[in-house]
This record gives sequence, structure tokens and C-alpha cells, in this order.
Amino acid sequence: MTYVFQFGIVFDHFPQLVEGALLTIRLAALAMVFGLIVAVICAYLRTSGPKPARALVAVYVEAVRNTPFLVQLYIIFFSLPAIGIRFEANTAALVAMIVNLGAYATEIVRAGVQSVPAGQIETGLALGLKRLQIYRFIILFPAIKAVFPALASQFILLLLGSSVVSAISANELTAVANTLQSTTFRAFEVYIVVTLMYLAIALAFRALFAGIYWFVFIRGRT
Amino acid sequence: MAIRLCAAFCAAVFACVLAPQAGNAQALDRILKEKKIRITAEVTSPPFGILDKDNKPTGSEIETARQLAKDLGVELELVQVTGPQRIPALLSDRADLAISSLSITTERAKSVWFSSPHGALSIVIGAGKNVNIKSAADLAGKKIGMTRATLEEQVVPKVAPPGTNIVFFDEHSATQQALLSGQVDAIGGAAFLINELAKRNPDKGIETKFTVMTAFYGIAVKPGNFDLLQWVNTWVFVNKQNGVLAKIYKEHTGVDLVDLPPL
Repeated sequence: MTYVFQFGIVFDHFPQLVEGALLTIRLAALAMVFGLIVAVICAYLRTSGPKPARALVAVYVEAVRNTPFLVQLYIIFFSLPAIGIRFEANTAALVAMIVNLGAYATEIVRAGVQSVPAGQIETGLALGLKRLQIYRFIILFPAIKAVFPALASQFILLLLGSSVVSAISANELTAVANTLQSTTFRAFEVYIVVTLMYLAIALAFRALFAGIYWFVFIRGRT
Repeated sequence: MAIRLCAAFCAAVFACVLAPQAGNAQALDRILKEKKIRITAEVTSPPFGILDKDNKPTGSEIETARQLAKDLGVELELVQVTGPQRIPALLSDRADLAISSLSITTERAKSVWFSSPHGALSIVIGAGKNVNIKSAADLAGKKIGMTRATLEEQVVPKVAPPGTNIVFFDEHSATQQALLSGQVDAIGGAAFLINELAKRNPDKGIETKFTVMTAFYGIAVKPGNFDLLQWVNTWVFVNKQNGVLAKIYKEHTGVDLVDLPPL
């Protein structure tokens, strides 16, 4: 038990770690935005779309939610090129994250949509609004507000789950850490620093979500 | 009284420390007398050392050890070790020789004595036929895949010109898959791995483009064992000339043994 910590080695390579962290943040942020868009569209199709669309969304959601993320990642990176669809590692990672988050968030948003009282929808119908208009103006806002905490948790899970994409050579934070660890052999120091970086990023995102919630749903609406 | 006891103790300790040392100068005689040689066996680095389907050690290094014991005319006792234990097993007299894919390095030569090389591991660049790579300079602008925590991870970046895009995977299987699915232009890896990959995927036309570096495997003895080292060197010389080493190597790794310079 005479391990001597050498954090100096880690801090010598700190710019690389920061670069990795920035890619992690960028991937997560983009996946959150596009994943939410996918979710809102799919939730609409799932609840009030035509029958075939409902079935299709159900297949998508169940297929993604019941298979490992790593396998989805491998399919997009290693298998799709066989049918001519080729993504760079970082793009493949982003696509996989959007597909994955989209499915989970669809279920969350759908729960929110179904929590909107039928009376409100009937009011919309009485006012002569079209289905999409009702979804857009009457349902979506309270639906998202109701499930916002669940969505935020899912977003954080996605952020942390992004560490897996190092497997296809996307050079995010965990990938940088793995490379650093295998060249310096200071596993303990490297992973401690990286853990703290993930913690800081996750807490920052949580603060951001709290801010968004307050800004969009609370301010001026009470 | 106390001083005398202490002196006696010190003498005893010295005797213990020196005794095996003194014996080591006649390590070869001892082995011949006992009719048994103890050689390290590391069985987690295919194709050099592995366990076969009956759980018996095999691989090019193990078969080299078998051949050596046979030529010496003594029984072979394989001392199973893990990678990090290869040298300690020698130094603690648990084994007479280490034949376990030990590359000859100046760092290791500080603690053990190496024979002339009997085997080698080449790190090469492999890619499809249509990829134009002839030397390290051609790597510029190409995407090269390799596995983390391997020899290639240490040596390829050193020869790669600026503008080479090196990407890392966690497993050999992922690196190879990246080449097969065209996600990288070429990969760095051990010659036998590239050779095997090419054989398993004949439709991809994968070939070895150039050798980045070759690490030579030597047989290590505990420092001081002149007589044993001299015999081992003679054995390596003879079996290099008669092609036995090359035959064992080819049989287990599937690739030809490179020319072995003497140490």
C-alpha cells in the first residue's frame, strides 16, 4: 500500500482530456436536441397517428429499448457500411445516441401526452382546431412540463452512456482516458480525474435543465 | 552475546544468499545431473503460448522449450507464469530458462541475460489490395486503426508522418472489423494477426503493406549462468541453421520467421 499518486502526468495531458470532454458535451447536447425532436414526432404518431405509423413507432421503441446500446452502435458503425451507409466514427456515435435517446424519450413524452386531460383536447376540437394544432398548442406544452424531470434524467443517462462510444474510436472523454491510461499506466489518476470531469459535466447539465424548466414553464406563467 | 548471535545470524543469511549463487555457475551441470530443466510457460499469448483443447500448453514458445529440452536430453518441467511473472520466476530460481515471448530490450537486460533471438514479432501495416501504401510516408492522410495498450500503439505513431489519422479501438476484434467494414483505410498489428485476418476474409484482399518494426524474442537466463547461456546460444545457432526454429514458428503463427541476427 505504498502507491504514489502522480497527477502531474494527467495534467500534462489535460488539453487532450478537455478536448475529449468538449466532444462528449457536443455529442450529448446534439443528441438531446435531435432526440427530443424524434421523441415529439414519434409520440404524436404513437398516440394519434395512422395505424401503420403507430405500429412502426411501437416497433422502433421496443427494438431500441430492448437491445444493448453497444450493439446498436456496432450495427450503425460496422454493419451499415455493408449496405452502403457509411458514417464517420463521431457521426455514427451521434446517430446511435439520437436513435437510442429518441426511443426512450418517445415513451416519456407519450406518457406526458396521455396525462393531458381529455377535456382540454375536446375543448380544442370544439374550437375547430385541427389534430396537429391541438397537439402543438394544447397537448405538447403541459405534456413536456409534466415529464420534464424524467426527460432530464434520461438526458443525463445518455450523457453518461456516451462513454461507450469510445468502442468505435469516437475520441470522446472516455476514449482519451483509455488511451492516456494505456500509455502512462497511471490508471488510478486518469480515471479519478475523468470521473470528476463527468461529474462536473453532469451537474452542469442538471443546472441547465433546472434553468430551462424555470425559464420555460415557471416564469410569467404562475 | 547479542553481538555474537547477530553475527551468526548474518553469516547464516549470507550463506543462504550466496549458496544458490555459487551453484548457478554450474547450472548446466545441475540440470544434466537432475535430468530436468524448468522453463517458463506463459499460456495467455496466442499463438506463442496457449492452452490447447485438452488444456495442455502449446504454441511456438512452448514447442521451442520442448525441442530444447529434448536436444539437451533432459525432462522438461513447464513452470506456468503470467506475463509480469516471466522475469521474477527466473530471478527467484523457480525456472532455469524463460522462453515466453520476451522481447530483447535494454531495459530487461538489466535484470536478465538474453540469448541470441530464437523468434520474433513483427508489427506491420495491413490493408486491402487497392489501398496504396508502400512505406510509412504513405500513411499521411489515411485513417489507421489500432488497438489500445499494444505494441503497435507504441511504435506506429512514431513512424507515422504528420497528417496521419490514427484511431484507437479497445479490442483487436473491433480494430479488424473496422478494416473489414471500410471504416479505416489500414490497421496496424502483429504480422500473424494480419495474416490470419487475410486468410479468414479472402474476398477483402487484405495484405501486409510494410513492416513497422520487429521485436526479437530471446531466451533469458538468470545473470551469472554463463554455462547455461553458452549452451542455449549454441542450441539457437544450430536450430536456426537447420531450420527447426523456422518450422516451429511457421507451424504455430502461420507466418515466416524473419532473419534472426545474432546477439
